[in-house]
Amino acid sequence: MSIGSLVLRRMALLVLVLFGVTLITFLVSHVVPGDPARMMVGQRASEETVARIRREFGLDQPLHVQYGRYIAGLLRFDLGISIRTQRPVIDDLVTFFPATLELALCSIALAVLVGIPLGVWSAVRKDTVVDHLSRTYSVLGVSTPLFWLGLMMLLVFYGKLGVLPGSGRINPFSPEVPRVTGFLLVDSLLRGSLASFGNALYHLILPSFCLSFVNVGVFARQVRSSMIEVLNQDFVRTARANGISRKSLIYRHALRNALIPTVTVIGLSVGDLLGGAIMTETIFAWPGMGSYVVDSIGFLDFPAIMGFTVFVATGYVIINLLVDIAYTLLDPRIRGVG
Amino acid sequence: MQAKRRGIVFQIVLGLIVLALLLPGCGPKVPKDTLVVGIADDIDVLDPAVTSTNSSWAVSYWCYERLVDYKGATTEVGPALAKSWTVSPDGLVWEFTLRENSKFDDAKPVNAEAVKYTFDRLMAIGKGPAEAYPTLETVEVVEPYKIKFTLNAPFPPFLYALANNGASIVNPAVQSKEKDGDLGQGWLSEHTAGSGPYKLEQWVKDSQHKLVLNPNYAGTAPSIKTVLIKIVKDPSARRLQLEKGDIDVAAELPLDMYRQLEKNSNIVVKSWPSLSVTYTYMNCQKAPLDNVKFRQALSYAADYAGIISGVFLGNATQMRGPVPQGMWGYASDVKQYTYNLEKARQLLAESGVATPLTLKYLYADRDPNWEPVGLALQAKFKELGITVELEKLAYATMRENLDKGEFQLAAGNWTPDFADPYMFMNYWFEPQNWGLAGNRSWYENEQVTDLVREAARISDQAQRTTLYRQAQDLIMEDAPYIFLVQKNYNLAWRKNVEGFVFNPMLLDMYNFHQMAKK
Repeated sequence: MSIGSLVLRRMALLVLVLFGVTLITFLVSHVVPGDPARMMVGQRASEETVARIRREFGLDQPLHVQYGRYIAGLLRFDLGISIRTQRPVIDDLVTFFPATLELALCSIALAVLVGIPLGVWSAVRKDTVVDHLSRTYSVLGVSTPLFWLGLMMLLVFYGKLGVLPGSGRINPFSPEVPRVTGFLLVDSLLRGSLASFGNALYHLILPSFCLSFVNVGVFARQVRSSMIEVLNQDFVRTARANGISRKSLIYRHALRNALIPTVTVIGLSVGDLLGGAIMTETIFAWPGMGSYVVDSIGFLDFPAIMGFTVFVATGYVIINLLVDIAYTLLDPRIRGVG
Repeated sequence: MQAKRRGIVFQIVLGLIVLALLLPGCGPKVPKDTLVVGIADDIDVLDPAVTSTNSSWAVSYWCYERLVDYKGATTEVGPALAKSWTVSPDGLVWEFTLRENSKFDDAKPVNAEAVKYTFDRLMAIGKGPAEAYPTLETVEVVEPYKIKFTLNAPFPPFLYALANNGASIVNPAVQSKEKDGDLGQGWLSEHTAGSGPYKLEQWVKDSQHKLVLNPNYAGTAPSIKTVLIKIVKDPSARRLQLEKGDIDVAAELPLDMYRQLEKNSNIVVKSWPSLSVTYTYMNCQKAPLDNVKFRQALSYAADYAGIISGVFLGNATQMRGPVPQGMWGYASDVKQYTYNLEKARQLLAESGVATPLTLKYLYADRDPNWEPVGLALQAKFKELGITVELEKLAYATMRENLDKGEFQLAAGNWTPDFADPYMFMNYWFEPQNWGLAGNRSWYENEQVTDLVREAARISDQAQRTTLYRQAQDLIMEDAPYIFLVQKNYNLAWRKNVEGFVFNPMLLDMYNFHQMAKK
């Protein structure tokens, strides 16, 4: 299947996925007892006020009418008005998403840069001290509670040593970086301010390290097991017999084959992080999607919950598409299948 | 060759990153004329006619002025925008004369037109803040700087309610920002348009609010030129930033952290009695809680001292009646239940309610104290043969159940909006307020209803005190709530910060304009 038809097929599937996701989320969020209108007007509001707000937001309409309206809005890229923030949901998502994506991409990049070589090293030196250490780290990475790790890192690097900043995306007293893309690293470069770029990068170190800690372990473990399997295959023996250098054998032949399942794992991890890493965002005061969603759920802010779900579902479909494209690039055989 | 070129590119990128990291360090420190306040959560909206949350008021309160304001640390109101006022003998017509030197941040004058616009807008929007003026009929401009409010029934707390955030005088220029007939709600939810000492310059969502001086402010120029309200959700991180000097004031820390911060010589930790209470609703419409003797038995079985020391770490006092100490109408000799298991057993026997039985205690994670309070009640009620099952729900769902009366016992907090016992006596005990509106124990006693309604009709404070006192005596016998504790308000700040005045009516609304940094 060509990449073009793969993209087309996935886009068609996206429509089905979004229909299913919106329907389920809509039903689930409306079945939960609780009145968003009352949450909005405060505890002491009279019944008349609450009823008026219900009318204003269309919450007094039958469920199927509300759902129909929502879908009609969705087709115009209108995700409705948030009951909590009283802003268009799309504006809220555009505000918070870049912060989450910037952090997610940095932490994934860090995890890939460390996790994959660690996995390769561990596989090549199987059952040596290096391998044992790497495996121990993998288990530690997966089992360390993020809130504890985040707090410890904050305490040591910000509290005790004072070498890294403690919260936010940039120092509040730095010159303001005009918002263009919402990605501070990009916006500061667009503005030509290396100092702001550095400051934003500084602020990324602790949260992205914290987030990548788990993924380094996951990626390393995945690469290790795939590599061990690949290294035992016939073509590797043949390549070795043909005198291919050890470096070329590991990185050009074995790793390339071992990367296919790893790419799936990386894709899933990016998908997970898109929803916002709530713990990390909370500890490092990172203004991302995580806390927006948690606050919206607590407030029964249906439009915000639905908007977020649609957003993340779309993100997942796109990531899966990218993962499939990555397969075809890594393994030419896949291009012909379909 | 290609690999070599790639290597060079990699080295250049790496070099740039290292250089960028070396350039700024952690960035500039907090300037002396800037006050940084660390809070736990971002706010919803800033429009005074819409928001009902203290956290929003913390940002907007000093961006506006009101006709009257709470004075210093007291619960008394005095002149602010209004320099004087009169009230008709029947309490229905209030006339205010305004100061003539006050200006909005766009230099337009704050006059009677602006006051009329504010209240017409507030009532037309009709959200939570408008509920503080239930009998407001009309607002008329008498003269350019004289305004008349007419009520359709006397409402004695009216003057106090004018010090609420909802009564902040809004610049009529916001009308030009109206969209789809929203009276400028969309615009004002993210901006300020007042005549207070500050104005909002920047709001980075979920990150920070930056207040700067209003150049047209008529009062004394504040020493603090910029206020940065930073959202730092994790309390440990907030505490750490306070200790490191990256924030000057840390709000909403857990009680044990305040204790630990007391040991730091660079930090000042203070605690004041507030008017906020934590109490337990007993649903008077549901058996066996519809039995007065049974409710009295539960009131005697609660270990008040244990809850104060164990849950609130001593930062609270036991309530004596519904009106908290510090609010007029508080009676120091009204009946107070104390932990007395013998008495509880005797009342339980008299009630005729058979034990063992199970009661459900409804709560949410909105307040971390609600669960330990439930556990404390559970431990003591067990002695009476009553099993308390803790039922934790999402806050929105809990509110729904409270509003519908679908609970037995439930955790609750209450903070008054204005300094009048009406906030407790009428909201809590009038049957028209059954549910979330205020009467959360679904209580009804005709005598009490008559007394508190009469107290809400007359303006003489001495007479009202007497009526409220009579009602309190009846209420304490009926025991519709377990009157637990009146909480302390705690705050920690850097030693070099001066001038903070705690006013129990202005929780979380720090008087930035009177504060300074050494």
